[in-house]
Amino acid sequence: MSESKFETVSSLVDSYQQNDSVFDELIKDQQLSDTWDRYHLIGDIIRDEVPSTLTLDLSAEIANAIAEEPTILAPNQSSTFMPKFKAKVVQLIKPVGQMAIAASAAGLMILGVQQNVANNEAVTPSQVVQTVPLGGIADPVSFNFKQTDRMSQKQAYIEQQRRFQALLSDHHQQIKLSAAVESDELPKDKAEELPK
Amino acid sequence: MRILNYLLLLTSISFSAIATENEQAVSSLSRLSQSLQQLNFSTSFVVVKNNHAEPYHWFRGVNEQGTSLEILSLLNGPRRDVLRKGDIVSYIEPELSPYSVIAEHISGPIPAIFGKDITTLEKTYNFVSVGRSRVLGRAAQLVRIVSKDQHRFGHWLWLDQETGLLLKLALVTRKGQLLEQVQFTHLDITEKPSDSLLQLQSAELPQVIEIPKNYQENELAWQVNWLPAGFTQLKANKHRINITNQPVEFMLFSDGLVEVSVYVGASQDKQRVADYVMDGATVVLNQVVNGFEVSVVGKIPASTAKSIADSVVIGMSKRP
Repeated sequence: MSESKFETVSSLVDSYQQNDSVFDELIKDQQLSDTWDRYHLIGDIIRDEVPSTLTLDLSAEIANAIAEEPTILAPNQSSTFMPKFKAKVVQLIKPVGQMAIAASAAGLMILGVQQNVANNEAVTPSQVVQTVPLGGIADPVSFNFKQTDRMSQKQAYIEQQRRFQALLSDHHQQIKLSAAVESDELPKDKAEELPK
Repeated sequence: MRILNYLLLLTSISFSAIATENEQAVSSLSRLSQSLQQLNFSTSFVVVKNNHAEPYHWFRGVNEQGTSLEILSLLNGPRRDVLRKGDIVSYIEPELSPYSVIAEHISGPIPAIFGKDITTLEKTYNFVSVGRSRVLGRAAQLVRIVSKDQHRFGHWLWLDQETGLLLKLALVTRKGQLLEQVQFTHLDITEKPSDSLLQLQSAELPQVIEIPKNYQENELAWQVNWLPAGFTQLKANKHRINITNQPVEFMLFSDGLVEVSVYVGASQDKQRVADYVMDGATVVLNQVVNGFEVSVVGKIPASTAKSIADSVVIGMSKRP
C-alpha cells in the first residue's frame, strides 16, 4: 500500500478531496476502508463525540443484520408506488369530474328554467299576475306524469303478455276441436256448453 | 342477384337427380305414415323450443280387433293427456274437465299429416331427401319438407331406416335457423300393443261432446284477403277466449301441415302497433286497427302473420 493512498483517505475524511474515483477505490480496498473507519474514529474521539458504550465494529453488525433479513423475492415496489400514482390520477380526474357535474347541473338548470318558462307560457299565455310559483308547479307535475306513464307502460306490457298467452292456448284448443267431426243432432244453444 | 344465382344453381342440377331425390323423400314419408298406422310402439320425445324442453310419452298401436289406440302424455307439470281409442279422442287437461270428441287423429306436437297421405302437401311443399345421419343411435334418413314460397317454415324429418318411424323433427326458417325441435329419446317397437294401450282399451273415456253442424258460422262480418297459397278455411265461429274472456270472431286455416288462427274482436284502444312473440315456431301477432283487434297465431314466420293481419278487411264485401 502506498503512503499516498493513506494521505488521500485522510484528506477525504477531512473533506478536502471531492474525487469520486478515490471513493470507488476506497470502497473496493479493504485496507483503505479500514483506514477510513479508523481515521473517523480517531476524529470522533478527538472531537469527543464517542458514545459511552463504544461498539467498534458497527458496520459488521449492520452487515450481519442485513444478511439475516429474509430475502424478499418479489419486492412490493409496486404497492408502494401504485397508490402514489393512483392518487395522482384521482387528483387529476377529480377536478374534471367536478367540473363536468357542475357544468351539467348548470346545463340542467338552464334547460329546466327554459322548460318552465315554455310550460308556463303554454299553459297560461295571457296571465298577467303569476299566481303559481315558477319552481313550484313544474317539478311535481312532470314527476307524476312520468311515473304514471311508466306504470301504464308496464301494465300494458303485462296485459299484452297475457293476451298472447290467451291467444296461444286458444289456438291450441281450436286446433284440437277442429279435428272433431261435426254432427247435426244437437241444437245450436247446446253449443254454448262446448269447451272453448 | 341471389335469386338469379339460386335459379342458375337449380337449373344446373340435373332434373333427374331432383326427381330421384323427390321420389326417395316421398317414399320415405309414405313409409312413415304406414309405420305410424301399423306398428306398435312406445316412445319418448322432448319438444325443445325457446329455452325450455317439454318431455312426452307417446304410445301407439293396433289391438287384435284392429282398433287403433294411442296415448300422448306430457310428463312435466300438470297432467295433459290425450287418449285415442279408434276415432274417439279424449283430452285430459288442467283447464277443463275431461272431454272427448269424435276425431280421426289427436293434435299434438307431431303434425297429424305424418300419419296420413303426405302427397296432399305436394302443391305447396317440396320433399327433398338430403342424406343420412345417426339419430337416437340409429341410421336415419333426413327428409326436408320445404315450402315452395317464402311464407312458411321448413320441416326437417329424420326417419329411422329400419322401421321408417320418426326419430327427430325440426322446424327451420328458410335461412336454416332452428326454431323448434322434437327429439325422440327412446323408441321401442313391439309385437303387441304396450300394457298402457291395453289398459286404455278397457278404460272408460270421458263423454263425447258432439259439435253441432250449425255451430259453425259461415258468414262473419270480416274476411282475410290474403293467405299463402294452399291455405283453406277449416272453420269459423264466435267464442270467448278462455283466459281473458274476450269475445272474438275466429277463423282457422290450414295448409295441411300447419294451422293458422285469425281472431277479430273489438278493442278499447283505437290503434295499437303490431306486436308479436314467438313460442318456438309459433308466432302470436296482435294489432289494433281502427278499434278492431286482429290477432294471428300459427307456425308461420312473423312477416307472414303480419301480412295476414293486414289483409283482414272488416265489412261484408265478398271476396273477389
